Amino acid sequence: MSLTLFFQLLANGLVVGGLLGIVALGLALIFGVMRVVNFAHGEFITLGAYATYLLVTQLGASPLFGIPLALALGGAIGWLIQAGVIARVTERPELDMLMTTYALSVVGLGAFAAGFGGDFRSYSAGPSGSLDLAGVVVGWRSLTVLLTCLVMGAATLLLVQRARVGLGLRALAQNRDAAASCGINVIASERLAFSAAVALAAAAGALVSLIGTTTPTVGHGWVLDGFVVVMLGGLGSVAGALVAAFGIGFVQSFASYLLDDSWARIIIYLLLYAAILVRPHGLLGRQEHA
Amino acid sequence: MSRAGSTAALAAVTVALGAVAAALPWLGVSSYVRTLVYYACYYMALGQAWNLISGMTGYVSFAHGALAGIGAYATVIALNAQWPVAAGLAAGAAAAGLASLVIGATSLRLRGAAFTFATLFFQELVLLIVRKLPAAGGPGGLVLQEIYPTSLPYVLMVVLAAVATIAVAALRFSRTGVRVLAIKHDETAAVAIGIDSTRLKVAIFCASAAIAGLVGSIHAIFVGSLFPDVVFAVEISLIALAVPLIGGVGTAMGPVVGALLYVGMREVFQVVAPGLHLTIVGLLILAVVLFMRDGIVGAAARAWATRRRTAVPAEGG
Repeated sequence: MSLTLFFQLLANGLVVGGLLGIVALGLALIFGVMRVVNFAHGEFITLGAYATYLLVTQLGASPLFGIPLALALGGAIGWLIQAGVIARVTERPELDMLMTTYALSVVGLGAFAAGFGGDFRSYSAGPSGSLDLAGVVVGWRSLTVLLTCLVMGAATLLLVQRARVGLGLRALAQNRDAAASCGINVIASERLAFSAAVALAAAAGALVSLIGTTTPTVGHGWVLDGFVVVMLGGLGSVAGALVAAFGIGFVQSFASYLLDDSWARIIIYLLLYAAILVRPHGLLGRQEHA
Repeated sequence: MSRAGSTAALAAVTVALGAVAAALPWLGVSSYVRTLVYYACYYMALGQAWNLISGMTGYVSFAHGALAGIGAYATVIALNAQWPVAAGLAAGAAAAGLASLVIGATSLRLRGAAFTFATLFFQELVLLIVRKLPAAGGPGGLVLQEIYPTSLPYVLMVVLAAVATIAVAALRFSRTGVRVLAIKHDETAAVAIGIDSTRLKVAIFCASAAIAGLVGSIHAIFVGSLFPDVVFAVEISLIALAVPLIGGVGTAMGPVVGALLYVGMREVFQVVAPGLHLTIVGLLILAVVLFMRDGIVGAAARAWATRRRTAVPAEGG
């Protein structure tokens, strides 16, 4: 493998890793604050992708406007779903929570399949051309994706780590009852966390539609990799999740080139089984609260 | 009626109904009705398999469709190698049981959602691997070389549904069943009083997978050809959990009611809203989880109990 090709694959891996990081951040936010595993996260990615696709093909707008559109749409829908559905099951047994988000995922999957059919959809509008860095070709589209992911990721981390509302989210993640008795508004915090996570997922979907094709199951594949990232990286450390996201991105990029897409997925899923074995704290690398 | 008595009564009713259903091909019933009965039994058996592990222990499996698929492939490969039918079916059950040990040994040692994730990824992994395996026909799939009369898979599926229902009922009221329910309600307490929860969970999952594998084996004989994207479709795993969930999780009658309802629903929606099948099943699960946690059987039992309670003073007074 030539050095140029190596850097080329590295660049591709960075783009995939950036997207995975955004998806995993949302999953971790929802699980951290609400102890809910959001199986429907992938369908919110698909939602953002189709929203951007429709914006470009029906209104002739630039796909870059799809990113704020997806953020707003995702935020609103996330808020409604949290208020209408998720809030009813957060205090219930785990089986109910799993079934609820799984059912939401199935509803979304069915609706997208019914509405758009199985076609592969893409558009040609938006940033084009590429940047040539000493032989390593990086498309402007890929660069847009990576930069947007970095900005959104940094903004979310600032919100959680520095802002006053973030303090509430972190308090809830540590101890729900103690946070509530200290005067943290549990209902508002949970709604904010879910809404922000869904907005991130939808924005990731807008970006996915920019560099790939959109199908009813496009988000499903991304969210499975997102789960691998969260399980490998652990919820406790942002650094761990980032390493895992870009690690999986590189594995996918290199394995796709050297073998093929299916082998890349097989390798990633086998990594997950390894993660379950070496991370015996159960879900998401954190010990369960009694 | 005592618990043992009610299990025996349920077993008797199930055997009687099963005998009638199994005899339908020779009673001059139209092939449409026979196909409906077959599919009801197919969903019932698959739902009972899911019910055995997830309904009884609370550990959710998303892979029962994939386990049935493994059984289907093992049986078709065995039958194409000229094995007798019984050996082919045994191969299907054994293959699925072995696969369950692979998932269970890693993830059932852990509490919480690790098992659910392991099954979720197993569902995807199996499809990817089967498409790569030349012995399994790759993406093109496999065809069963010998053609069997449709009455063979039909009778087998009816019997399997009946046996699985009786097995769940018998387990529920046995000492082992009480241990399993203890795990579901409070695993820490169950372990503290000396229940070997990991061993029990792995054993139950293995039995459940063997039933799912048999469902797949029999269905493979029924359809005659296997395409990986159809056999390992996520929908089958969805049906496996939707049927008991709608009927009533953790009860023997739940999957029976759920399967009958689901078969009827599928027929209606294929005409009324052909593209919206998935969405409707998803909404149904959502409605059941949010508003009717113990499914139709549980809701009916509660309504019945309330009626009797309010009826007694009226009779006595």
